[in-house]
Amino acid sequence: MMTGRLLWLAGVAAGAALCADPAVVARGQKEEARSCIPCHSLRLIHSQRLSKAAWNKELDKMAGWGTVITDRDALLEYLVANFGDDKAPPPPAMSQDGVKK
Amino acid sequence: MTAAALMTAGAARLARAADDSTAIPGKRPMILHNDRPEDLETPVRYFDSWLTPVDAFFVRQHIPRPATIDPAAYRLTVNGMVSKPLQLTLADLQKLPQATVPATIECTGNGRGFYTPKVPGIQWGRGAIGNAEWSGPRIADILRAAGASSSAAFLETDGADVGVASTPDFVRSLPMKKAMHPATILALKMNGQPIPDIHGFPARLIVPGWDGTSSVKWVIRLSAAAEANKGFFMNPGYRYPKYALPPGTPARPAELEVIEGMPVKSSITAPEDQSKLALGAITVRGFAWAGEQAIERVEVSTDGGSRWHDAQLSSPKLPFAWRLWHLDWRPSDPGYYTILSRATDSSGRVQPIVAVWNPSGYLWNAIDRVGVTVEKA
Repeated sequence: MMTGRLLWLAGVAAGAALCADPAVVARGQKEEARSCIPCHSLRLIHSQRLSKAAWNKELDKMAGWGTVITDRDALLEYLVANFGDDKAPPPPAMSQDGVKK
Repeated sequence: MTAAALMTAGAARLARAADDSTAIPGKRPMILHNDRPEDLETPVRYFDSWLTPVDAFFVRQHIPRPATIDPAAYRLTVNGMVSKPLQLTLADLQKLPQATVPATIECTGNGRGFYTPKVPGIQWGRGAIGNAEWSGPRIADILRAAGASSSAAFLETDGADVGVASTPDFVRSLPMKKAMHPATILALKMNGQPIPDIHGFPARLIVPGWDGTSSVKWVIRLSAAAEANKGFFMNPGYRYPKYALPPGTPARPAELEVIEGMPVKSSITAPEDQSKLALGAITVRGFAWAGEQAIERVEVSTDGGSRWHDAQLSSPKLPFAWRLWHLDWRPSDPGYYTILSRATDSSGRVQPIVAVWNPSGYLWNAIDRVGVTVEKA
């Protein structure tokens, strides 16, 4: 456990700001489940790749439309860590056949 | 009420479970950008007919669709600057002269995923577009029946959908000149059938040649007005920079304009990008449309743009509706080929090499491009 902690600290030192705190990112994911799911599916978020500034603006937009985001910094960290504009776009998802035969 | 207060934890869990259930009733397998509400893109392989079948037609919902409207209880309110406000039933609308208009509907953001740098919004590829035959009464006839004032400059249209939490209502305004055009209709049918719920049952505005967002679904109110609606979906939503911006820079709000007619555009639907093909006869296919203009010409290059060949175009040549095109190609050697398509319309507009980057990622219409590997048979 100590080793893991030391490795994590080494990672922070090496990656500087590029390496997000996993605990904060995990909190951000919880905040996503709490504040985003009531209005839309998460695909809408997970299919995008945006800069931190652009994600920040999206959070402002959603807050303006009535979403109460309590752990905003963590949510932003989570979005940047997983869906930042340095990440490759995801392969397209397909729906299943909904045509009744 | 806040969004957070809208759902209990249990309801949120149910909603998440719904996200994993990905069959959309009435639709073939579609590219799934969002399933709640539905944002579905048509895979290019379905684009093999002039009329796009309803079960393959793309879907763009801004906010959750309304509960299914009971056709017997349905009323269309016609009000505002009119001498005779009306409450029309579906039967009243069916009694008016019915016009049939073949029209391509394209999401304003179709192709957004191709822009660099990336912009927020659904990352549509080629398939937020479809061509259908729409039928219903002309807006002009409805407005005449209500005695619309000749000084009304705009038609405001509201659908039955309402925003979640404080998400704005979806309301759009149309200049009266376009609203009174004989091809602008309140469609009751799509490809000869009642419009399905997901596409706006029982009545959908069809604004041929304009961006898809103009064609409001589940229409419950038409108002003649002196001014355009000032809600989010008119401003800043669905506006485009008057003057082109350096890519990646923010919009200048005072210089944004409402989007009207769509640009000239062609897309390649076969072969698919990065596919492998056997050396031999290959058909390059696609569609092309030009908003309020008709398609005059589509050229195809199979060598990255050194030489261009005229593609065969389908009939009819109409404003508002796309034309399908194809080119028979027989490469003499195996290898990797870059195929391009370029459309020209009846007003002389030519599809550009570079699309104009804009902060909302609207109106992508660059020359289309796919890469294919041809292998020895």
